[in-house]
Formats: sequence, C-alpha cells, structure tokens
Amino acid sequence: MEANAAVIERDDFCSLAPIGWLHHKMQDSFFLVVGTGSCQGFLQTALGVMIFAKPRFATAVLDEDDLGGADPLDGLRPIVAAIVAEHAPKAIFLASTCTPEILKMNVAGCAPPLEAEFGVRVYPCRLDGFDPAYTQGEDHVLQSMIARAPETDEKNLVILGCLSALEEAEIRIECANMGLPEPAFLPGESALDVPALGPNTVLASVHPYLFAAAAYAQRERGCPLHKTIFPYGPDGTRAFYETLAAAFGKSVSYADREREAWDALASQTEPLRGKTIVFCSDAMLELPLARTLRAAGARVPVVGTPNIYKKFHAAEIATLSDVEILERPDRFVLFDRLASLAPDLVVANLNIANPLEGMGFAVKWSTELTFQPIHGFSGASTLFGMFAATLRRHEALAARRARDGAPGAPIDLGFFHLAGSNR
Amino acid sequence: MKLALWSYQAPAHVGVSKAAASFGKLHCVVRAPKGDGYSIIMLAMFERLGVLPPLSFCAMSEATLAGAAADLPSMLREIDAREKPEMIVVTRSATASVLQEPLDGEIAMMRPGDVNAEIFMATTHPMRDTELSAFARTTREIVAHFAQDTPRTERPSVNIIGPSLLGFHDRANVESLRKSFAALGIEINAVLPLGATPDDLRTIGRAWVNIPTAHELAKPTLDFLRERFGTPYVDELPYGEAGTTRFLRELCGLCEIPQERIAIAARDAKLLWYSRTVDAHALSSKRVGVFGLPTAAAGIARVLRDELDMEVEFVGTYALDYGDWLRERVRDITDNVLVTDDYRAVAREIDRTRPDIVFGSQMERHSASGFGVPCAVVSPPSHILNYPLGYAPFIGYDGANHIGDLVNQTQVLGLEHHLIETFGPRGQGRFAEAAPEPEAEAAVARVPVAAGSIAEEELRWDPAAERLLGRVPFFVRKKARANVEKYARERQIAVIDEAVMLRAREHVGG
Repeated sequence: MEANAAVIERDDFCSLAPIGWLHHKMQDSFFLVVGTGSCQGFLQTALGVMIFAKPRFATAVLDEDDLGGADPLDGLRPIVAAIVAEHAPKAIFLASTCTPEILKMNVAGCAPPLEAEFGVRVYPCRLDGFDPAYTQGEDHVLQSMIARAPETDEKNLVILGCLSALEEAEIRIECANMGLPEPAFLPGESALDVPALGPNTVLASVHPYLFAAAAYAQRERGCPLHKTIFPYGPDGTRAFYETLAAAFGKSVSYADREREAWDALASQTEPLRGKTIVFCSDAMLELPLARTLRAAGARVPVVGTPNIYKKFHAAEIATLSDVEILERPDRFVLFDRLASLAPDLVVANLNIANPLEGMGFAVKWSTELTFQPIHGFSGASTLFGMFAATLRRHEALAARRARDGAPGAPIDLGFFHLAGSNR
Repeated sequence: MKLALWSYQAPAHVGVSKAAASFGKLHCVVRAPKGDGYSIIMLAMFERLGVLPPLSFCAMSEATLAGAAADLPSMLREIDAREKPEMIVVTRSATASVLQEPLDGEIAMMRPGDVNAEIFMATTHPMRDTELSAFARTTREIVAHFAQDTPRTERPSVNIIGPSLLGFHDRANVESLRKSFAALGIEINAVLPLGATPDDLRTIGRAWVNIPTAHELAKPTLDFLRERFGTPYVDELPYGEAGTTRFLRELCGLCEIPQERIAIAARDAKLLWYSRTVDAHALSSKRVGVFGLPTAAAGIARVLRDELDMEVEFVGTYALDYGDWLRERVRDITDNVLVTDDYRAVAREIDRTRPDIVFGSQMERHSASGFGVPCAVVSPPSHILNYPLGYAPFIGYDGANHIGDLVNQTQVLGLEHHLIETFGPRGQGRFAEAAPEPEAEAAVARVPVAAGSIAEEELRWDPAAERLLGRVPFFVRKKARANVEKYARERQIAVIDEAVMLRAREHVGG
C-alpha cells in the first residue's frame, strides 16, 4: 500500500445518506437528526424529500440557545411529541451529528428519558460527516439496535445488513437448502425487530462497512467475528454460503452453482473481459467489487477506498494481493494515476463523476451501487449489468461522435462568462 | 431547537459559495465537515460541469475534534497551483463556526508570496444569515473589493446583477435581456456574479445603468454601485411583455436613448396578442396563487393579472425580510400577501383558496398536486428540471412568451374546456384504464395473460412469489414479471415460486 504524505480532507457524501434506505426498510421508524440547517439541506436534496408526502425523517435544527449550552432534552421534548402525534412511529432513531459532537452535547443521554416519557423506543446513534465512508451511517444505526438485542445461548443465524426482499429471499432459500437455521435479518421490516444475540450466534455481515456493529456485538454479546468474503458476485456468494455452512459444522460445496452462475452471466461479463477498471469511490464496497470484477475477467490495477478494516476485510484483501489498494487516497494523486493508467472505466462519486467524464473517462457513478440489489447469485446480473451497460454506452456514443465528427464538448466555466457578450 | 422537515433556503455557506464560485477566476473554499460538501454535487450535477467546480471543501475530520488545526494553507496552495485563481474566498459552515478556529490566523501565517491568489474571508454569519442574504452580501463584498474608478463607456452600457451558477434559468434570462439590449444598441459591461472576472469587476463602474434580475440578490450591490459611482438602476421588473416594455422605457430614459427602437426589441413578443386570442379568453375566469422569490412573485403576479387578466388569490414569498417590499409591489393586485418560510402554510393557503393554477417553486408543485391543482414552477428552490438544456427564460420578451406557454400547458382550454364543463370528464376514462395505477396493479391477483399458448395459461405464481414481486419497485415490476414468466416458459416451469423468481433474476436480470 502506498503512503500518501499530505492527504487533504475534502467533500464527500454524508453518513446521513443511509437514512434513505433504512427508513424505507423499517416502515415503522422515524429518523430524527439533531444538527444544523446543513444536515436538513442534505436530507432534502440527497433524499428527495418532495417525493414523499410525509417523510419519516426530519432535523431538529440547533439554534444559538443550543450552542449556548441549553439542555438538549428541553429542545427535543416538544419535537418528539410532534413526531409521535403525527407519525406514531414504533421507534425513533435519534441521530447525533457533527455539531453536537463538537459541542460535546449529550444527545444519546436524551434517549432513555424520551423513551420513558413517550413510550416509543428511542435508539441513540451517531450519524456524522466525520466517518470515512457515508455507508457507515448504517453501521452506527445497526450498532444502536444491537444494544437492544435480547440475549440467547442458541446457535442461531443473524444476517447483518440492510437488504431488499429479493436478496433476503435468496439467503432464506439457500439456508434452507443447506439445512441451516432460518436466518433472522437485522434490520428487519420493523424497527423493533432485533434478533437475539449471544456467544453461539453466527452473525454474518453482508456489507463490508458494518465493522463497528459486528465488533460491538462481539464485545458486548460475545458473537464471534464472522470473517468472510462478502456475497457480491458468484465467487463471493459461493464463499459466503460455504463459510456460513462451515460455521454450523457443515461442509457444502457451491462450486457447481458458482460455475452455473458465471455461465448465466456471460452476456454481462463478456464486455468486461480484459477491460481496465479503477475505483475512486467512497462507498466502502470497493474491495469486494474489485474482487468479483477481476473474477469476471476485468483488470483492476488500482482500488481507492475510503477505509480499510484489516481484520474485517482480511479475506477480501487476500484475494487482491497483486492490486494496489489506496486507503483514502488524495483526489489529485488519484487523478494523476488515472492519466497514466488510462482505464476503460472509472468508478467514482457524484461530486467528481461529470468532471471525470469531461476528462474523457467512462464513469460509473458509485452511489447507485448502494441503492441496487446486487447481493447473491440473483443480484449478480444487476451488479455486472451496471458496469457493462456503462461501458457499452460510452463506447457506442464515442464511436458515433467520432463517426459524425461531433465532439459533444463538456460544459466548462468559460460557458458562463457573459460580460461584453453583445459588444 | 426547531423541527425542520423541509426548507426553502439553504444555509448561509451555500449562499456564499454560490456567489463566490460564480465569479470568473475565483475559487471558493468552505471549511466544514465533509458531509456538507453536497453543495459541490449539486453544482457539478445541476450545471452539468465537465470540469471540477471552482468550489472546494476543507473538511473537518476526527483529527479536528481531537484538536488538530485545519490544514487550510495546504489546500490554498494546491488550489493556487492547479486552478490559478485571482482570488480565493474562504467561508465556513455553521458547524465549523462552532469550533471558532482561527482561520484568519492560519492564513496570516502563510509566507508572503506563498500563493499568488488573494485570500478573502467572507463576513457572513454562518447561522444568522440566510442563503439569500449571504449571497447578496458576498456579491457586494467581492464587487466592492475589486471596483476601481473608471470613466463611463462611450456608448450606453449596463451591468446585469443577480445571475449565478445554480441560479434559476439565469443563463437564459441573460440571453433574453441581451437580445433586447442589442436591439437598443446598449452594451453589456458585466454580468455578475455569473462569470464576471476580477478584470470585469475593476471596470464595473463604467456602466451607465445597473439591471437587477432579482432585487433580493442584487440590492446590496446596487446600493454600493450607486454610492460609489452614482450608477442608477432600473426599478421596473422585466416580467411579461408590457412589463418588459415599461422596463425598457425606464432603461432608455436612463441611457438617454430614443424609445422607438423598443418596437424592434419587441418584434418577437407574442404574449399580449396571445392574451387577445379567443383561446385565452377563458383565462379571465381563472384564479391563481403565486409564491416564490419576491422579485419573481411580484413580476409573475403582475403578468398574470395585468396581461392575462387572471384573478390573483394570493402572492407570497419565503424571503421573510422582503415581505414589505413584496406588499408594496403588489398593493394594487391583492391584499393577500403570504410571507412565510413554512411550506405547510403555503399548502394550507392553496387548499383554502383552491386556485385554478399555482405559480410557485418545486415545493408548491408538489403541494398543489396533492389538491389536484396544476402548478407552473417559476421560482427556486428548483431541481434538475430547472436546468434545461434548451432556452427557457423567465424575463424579457422571450421570458414573457415562455410564461404564456407555461400557462397554456397547465390549462384545458377552448372547445375541450366547454365539453368537459358540459358533459363532465367522462370521455377520459378510457385512458385511465389503459394505464392502471401502480398500486392497483400490485393489488390485483395475477390474471393469466390473454388468450395465448397453453403454456401461458398454465403459468401460475404462488402467493409467496407474488408477494416478492410486490416488493420489486413498481416502475420495474412489469418488466420483472415479464422476465420471470419468459424464463419460466422457456424452461417449462408451470408454477413460479420464490426460487424460480430468483433464478430468473439471475439469468435475465431485472
């Protein structure tokens, strides 16, 4: 791994973003964010509030009294009362953000009295812009739920990470096929569904960004850290199921199943074969996606990723021994690398996606990867399809532009210089 | 603490960065947690910039909480070397202001000549200023910083003040005005902040007249330029055909040029003739509500009442400190002036008055649709639809034509109108049946595909699979169903259960 001497911290997506999928998943939840107008602005622009008649998330915007040291409980009480009256949620996620963190404001301490007063479960969690990856917001939310998990000595199976119904169905079916216990999912349909956890629980994370929750369960409930390759792509899915079976003392082979899956994916993976793909995104999905794209025949020389947990990601890193992995690379250091690597496809965040297109790269915007059901055998088609479709479109349009001699020049800042425009 | 579900205005640092980043050869740096950086995404995405936006975030991290100083100088040096701006404007978000970091101190400690750009700290208050006030104030500060004494241009010239990146149809608005000014022989000295470079600002004082496209954005700059150079500004709002004519008359007066040429500028204006055509006669019975930025609300309300003879039920704005300004502007149109930044209060007023058309922001479009009332979006807050590739101005003669089109698009007019009045909307039922509501489609149990092969009739979904299909987002559900059934038919599978569905997804996607 390359050491970057002067990493300048820049803009990125905020950890509030996972509220977007978590509030959809848990239909009886409400997310109350304690922060500034900027948090509120993020929720409204990033999560498209106007689509929803009654959004189940809102911001308690701090004012100058709060900065002056007022008790946050006094400010929160009427707000929670209004939310309970209007939405009647089963549980409220009380999210502390950057500003309370700086002020050392005890937002978490408000959860027990609010829960007692309103009779609604209140999970305190930290969703702030200090996390290296925005997906870690889900990590903190799940950690706050694990704190409320019933204890058990049973050898049960808990799947950690927010999944769509389709992805859950596959895992349920495969567990039944393998003769494993029926899996419980965290999060489930209800914000009150928290499966029991104990020292015999197999707690398997399906996302690479849930380290804090898994580590917390290990520390507080004695759940052993389940180390695995994550279930992205046929290779990852096979390893994931085989590891699960092994955790229950069963030896199962998914080798045929994996081969069959690759065969079914041929039309999506063929366009990726031999293509160079570079990651400069911040979803923390980069390691497993690089691994499965390589398994599909792509070249991935460099992976920029926001954060690496050496133990939690060990199995993934082991598959990438000849790949240069850059943790939190500086944007411009990475841009310089892109110029020399000349990749066929760059995976990047929305803040640099269009500028990279403007530089001539084919760009797959990375945020979409966290919104799509791409887990398991059944999600692999969606996963590879996204990359293949971007490549195909880029190549087709570039060829037609070349044929027609039409450059399709990007909009630059000169476009907006209008002084003297009618002299 | 105050509960906020949705706001018309962004925080102050967004106003500062919108203004500062819009000037040419300037770069804006915001000290903030990195999550505040979504304004860069908006800038890059909405304006579809193929280059890095002239806006950077100097992000706070865990290390900042532990007491580490902002590494602002490194970022300033990097921007200086890469972008070579003439000035870098530094501001901070509300969160960063809580830390009370001595950013000026860090800047002052930099060696002379360390960066070539001038470094400028914006003076807005991160919590007390609003997006609008921060924008207006920053624009004035930057203009005042560069402005130099300079002789007036030989021929009449103007500065257009207000347009910016992420503005509302701003580039088209400038183009619309430019066409009229060209017909009148009036030069555009500068457009600001949009694209105006320090060189443009140094000679800002040579314009004869200033033109605000929005008073709430331009007022402090207008006042500064009047005090410093004695430059007057046009007070009339260039909304509508008659409004634009009044505006140009005022401008001609200030430029001491004959008014005859206005007719040339107006040769493509069609709004007033449209208003006389029999198609538009029904507009007299229509009631409207207008809500948005104060200048847009005042301008549009006057067009609708004076030029289209519509009845204005209410006019309103969310710029709370412009309430009196708006009341004064629309005094002869309505007493019902709504000054609120609570979108629910606006929705209640729409519900109470039930106008035939609402003219508002994207939020009013959303609220109005809940009451079945059509809405034309004429003001920010905007979304990507308000950054059209084509030409859609709101001001000047071309803007008047566009407003006419918007009115048209929201209305059922002429013969169709009479038929519906007389017979009710029965004839429209057929179309409703052809495109079932997504929810309704999810609710009905599977009906076998219409007469076809035996395989099709035998195909059956078990209840669990049907439920799972219901969980597929409605906009891809039809395609997913078709894909699964195709997969099942090809493999002679009669009953689709969850496993078949997932296998199908694996093979054909969706």
